[in-house]
Amino acid sequence: MSPPPPAPLLDVRHLEVRYGDLVGVADVSLAVGAGQVVALLGSNGAGKTTTLNAIAGLVRPSGGAILWRGEAIGGLPAYAIVGRGLALSPEGWRLFVGQTVEQNLRLGATALADRQRVPELLERVFAIFPRLAERRRQSAGTLSGGERQMLALGRALMSEPKLLMLDEPSLGLAPAVVETLYDTLWRLHGEGLTILLAEQSVPLALEIADHAYVLQTGRTVLDGPARALEDDPEVQRIYLGIRGEAAASR
Amino acid sequence: MRWGWLAIAVALLLYPWILTGPFYERMGADLLLAAIAAAAWNILGGYAGQISVGHAVFYGIGAYVPLLVYTHWQLPPVLGIPAGILVSLAVAAVIGVPTFRLQGHYFSMATIAVAELVRIVVGNWDFVGAAIGLMGPAVPRSLLDLSFKSAVPYYYIFLAVLAAILALTAHLERGRMGYYWRAIRAGERAARSLGVPVRRYKLWALLLSAGFTSLAGSLYALMVGFVDPESAFGILVSVEMIITAALGGVGTLLGPLLGAAILVPLKATTNSLFGGGGSGLTYILYGGIILLLARFEPGGLIELSRRIATRSLKKAKARAA
Repeated sequence: MSPPPPAPLLDVRHLEVRYGDLVGVADVSLAVGAGQVVALLGSNGAGKTTTLNAIAGLVRPSGGAILWRGEAIGGLPAYAIVGRGLALSPEGWRLFVGQTVEQNLRLGATALADRQRVPELLERVFAIFPRLAERRRQSAGTLSGGERQMLALGRALMSEPKLLMLDEPSLGLAPAVVETLYDTLWRLHGEGLTILLAEQSVPLALEIADHAYVLQTGRTVLDGPARALEDDPEVQRIYLGIRGEAAASR
Repeated sequence: MRWGWLAIAVALLLYPWILTGPFYERMGADLLLAAIAAAAWNILGGYAGQISVGHAVFYGIGAYVPLLVYTHWQLPPVLGIPAGILVSLAVAAVIGVPTFRLQGHYFSMATIAVAELVRIVVGNWDFVGAAIGLMGPAVPRSLLDLSFKSAVPYYYIFLAVLAAILALTAHLERGRMGYYWRAIRAGERAARSLGVPVRRYKLWALLLSAGFTSLAGSLYALMVGFVDPESAFGILVSVEMIITAALGGVGTLLGPLLGAAILVPLKATTNSLFGGGGSGLTYILYGGIILLLARFEPGGLIELSRRIATRSLKKAKARAA
């Protein structure tokens, strides 16, 4: 493994998460430097979601360490972690469909210490996604898939995160919508936002990421600069879930 | 909407003057009491979405403590109300910590288990009257005993309490607390990932709900002057709160009152028609209501009327166009 960048913002070391007897994540290590976009790759069930949930405090790690700016945050309640500037936009968006777009966004600012900044942040999100401004009084349940993704992303941005974690943001979206989404992420990255991205679509993720980690059955098995991984046949093999011996016998 | 509230308030204030006689007076008091209990349950079960089927625990504590302080120390039962609330809050905190680790049906089942456990313990505990129960003062020693022959004084006490609960609920509904409760109800995990301190706000809902449920139980004991394990801690007590709130509309301000306004007269009618032999009928009635609500309108009557209103509005618009 290549050495992590100096003084990473987020440093996950040998993370292990168990659900009872079941091991969700066996041994995941990763580092995210300030301003970086880091991609977590891997097939279904590789442990991407569990890793992000553990960092966000939604599940309790059973082993290893999660360091945020050098402070151990593993096992802290979710609200304490959001309060430190880590926001997760969960898989499937998990919007509050019975509430309006604006109420969803305001809920995103829950952890914000300074409530005075809410209107300003709202305007910022509406500037990024003018569509949401048009629909601000509409219930979130009436939005299209693309608009829902915008709302999920906008909601995560409402806590003014230092690190934005996205779990499968492109899942179930039309290709054109995915493209717009990634344009937005690229723009946010350009403004200095640090992003940790779990994604099934390897080409998409590698296009935007600086660095990527590949997970397989709950372990980090490969990592490197995105550019290098793009051409690595090993990535395709692992990602497709072909087992080592099967590939070797070919 | 404001006129609607005013109409309801006026109707409730005038009710004892319009429908006189012991039957209607008692029915009115029962109706308000059912609304109070359902409104208390609604804070946790409706707004915060944690379906407790064990609220009889708090109702029972509220009912027992006033009669307990009378039985053992000859104190006016009223003094037992705050004591009952304190005990209920303590019990709620103890119950809340482990049960809130559970979600959905598992939480509901845990609350049933706790309530049944408490009912059985009370039924075998001599200090609290075991299976026989407790009596209040048969003859009022002073006004402080709040023992009236007519149901009308109770009616107005209950009305004041109901108004207080609804006012507080309306206030919380609009504030940050109600906001978080709705988020928790819609998706606990999503709420958590946004940094809502889910446990803390669920506990707030539980404490408020338990405190008011306890108060409802105390009011019941004051009016009836007698409690036993079944009437105070029985599972039917919890089920009645749920059905009353659900029939009107779970998580709505007026739902509990609306549900009580339908269920209590219905129950009074079946009771007077079939007498004691018809007590099993109540269960059948409740079962039927649960079935109908679950199948056709989980949002209750308030949701139904809202739907009809929007539909007729649409029709009117279509006609105008």
